[in-house]
Amino acid sequence: MSLLEIENVTRRFGGLVAVDDVTTRVEAGELVGLIGPNGAGKTTLFNLISGFTALTSGAVRFKGAAIDGSKPHVIAARGMSRTFQNLRVFPNMSVFDNVSVGSVGAMGQSAFAAVFGRRGRSDAISARTWEALERVGLAEQSEELAANLSYGKRKYLEIARALAMRPDLLILDEPAAGLNDSETAELARFIRTLNDDGLAVMLVEHDMNLVMGICSRVVVLASGRKIADAEPAVVRADPAVLEAYLGVDE
Amino acid sequence: MFDPYYLQQLAIGLSQGVIYALMAIGFTLIFGVLNVVNFAHGEVYTVGAFAGLLLITAFAPPFLVVLFVVLAVGAALGFGLERIAFKPFRRFSDEASLKSRAMRESTLMSSLAVSIVAREGLEIAFGSQMQTLPFEYLINKPIAIGPVTIVTGDVIIFVVAALMLGGLQYLLTKTRVGLSIRAVSANPLGAKYVGIDTDRTIVTTFAIGSMMGAGAGILVGLYYGAIFPAMGFVPGIKAFVAMVMGGLSSIPGAVICALLLGLSEGLATTFISSNWADMVAYGFLIVTLIFFPQGLFGAGRERV
Repeated sequence: MSLLEIENVTRRFGGLVAVDDVTTRVEAGELVGLIGPNGAGKTTLFNLISGFTALTSGAVRFKGAAIDGSKPHVIAARGMSRTFQNLRVFPNMSVFDNVSVGSVGAMGQSAFAAVFGRRGRSDAISARTWEALERVGLAEQSEELAANLSYGKRKYLEIARALAMRPDLLILDEPAAGLNDSETAELARFIRTLNDDGLAVMLVEHDMNLVMGICSRVVVLASGRKIADAEPAVVRADPAVLEAYLGVDE
Repeated sequence: MFDPYYLQQLAIGLSQGVIYALMAIGFTLIFGVLNVVNFAHGEVYTVGAFAGLLLITAFAPPFLVVLFVVLAVGAALGFGLERIAFKPFRRFSDEASLKSRAMRESTLMSSLAVSIVAREGLEIAFGSQMQTLPFEYLINKPIAIGPVTIVTGDVIIFVVAALMLGGLQYLLTKTRVGLSIRAVSANPLGAKYVGIDTDRTIVTTFAIGSMMGAGAGILVGLYYGAIFPAMGFVPGIKAFVAMVMGGLSSIPGAVICALLLGLSEGLATTFISSNWADMVAYGFLIVTLIFFPQGLFGAGRERV
């Protein structure tokens, strides 16, 4: 049983087939890249996995249980956490509070605990929050407003918020967007350390280099179809991939 | 030295301002999370007052019991209101539709519709005239403080408002549900993907906001001894003005502006004429919109 199983997943928007019969999987502890040119269906596939968009047909299973049709917050609480291409941090909340939201989200909200559970006193919540903050190196700035962090730091803040859920699968949506080369290299090292600790990571990227550098397997989408699913070296030499990315002169 | 008459008018204005503040808190809380105006808030206030009236005429319980039952009724009203007038229009749960214009416009209409149905329903059931309240429940026994006379209701309303405001600050900053409310108001999609149930957070916000609205309704009803189906209309408008002046999503801003409104209405009554009191409120609104389009406390703050 794989951690995440995507089986013959299709999504149509009217006449447009955004994702067309895609089958793939993510194993526990794996670092997988999902790439493809603009409009290839990466975002739609991502939304199908995380419960945001309903499937037209096919099935998505996470830890062996079907999750298609579940609400995003339920899927998230089951251990699948994500970040966003255009950051969705809470700008006027402190760094600590931002990450606490992830801790609270993961620990579920029984009606009583949700209303009467105190956040500051709850050791479990603050322990998770501190752990995630230390992981990304933001513990020193815990009282800072998120809006005052640099763009790069806000990316790590969002990853910390996702890590506070202690997920089994972390999905990163174009994490390198807007970063320069040295920042991207640092991010790549960081993602590797997360993966070395056993966390499965799915990296959705527009840009090939980051993905080829750190992923053990790469899935390539083009026009909604999966055109390759192999190790980086094999994908790099695949004529279909080259055609999708570069176009081919007839 | 000051003529005590002016101090008296100041006290009256202040208590009026506190009443507007109670209304404005609920209004602003809901706006902060959903970015939509809840036009039915005034009717929650009215229905809260009527629920208290029915309870008093049927069982004559102690004052605190009346207050707590009305708060519970208010929470239930908020829950029902959200399910009837807001949730059906939130068909997609992405941020774009959660805060879209279409969502805003359709819920403006649906909450207005609910408010009209509630008001007219009460008129059919009770008639449009003022209801008679048992004298012993009225909170207008005079208390003399030096040259100024206030009534018990002024003290009670002030204390309740302070407790509600303090309680809300505690809830928003120190509890899990408060953290969820702030997260949803800052970025609903971001909150959803880290496991926050946005639907439940929204309905909770409505319940809390409506609880405050209903509580304000019964307090004001007992304060003036006047409970009637259209009683929520004017305070609703004033709370709306206070919210806009305060910067739309700032609760402390709305409270300060509500106090300012009440005080200046009191002063207008003293120095010009009571007919001009409403003009002051709308004048403030116009001046705010022209010179501070972000509201007096609007820009660069956390929502809620």
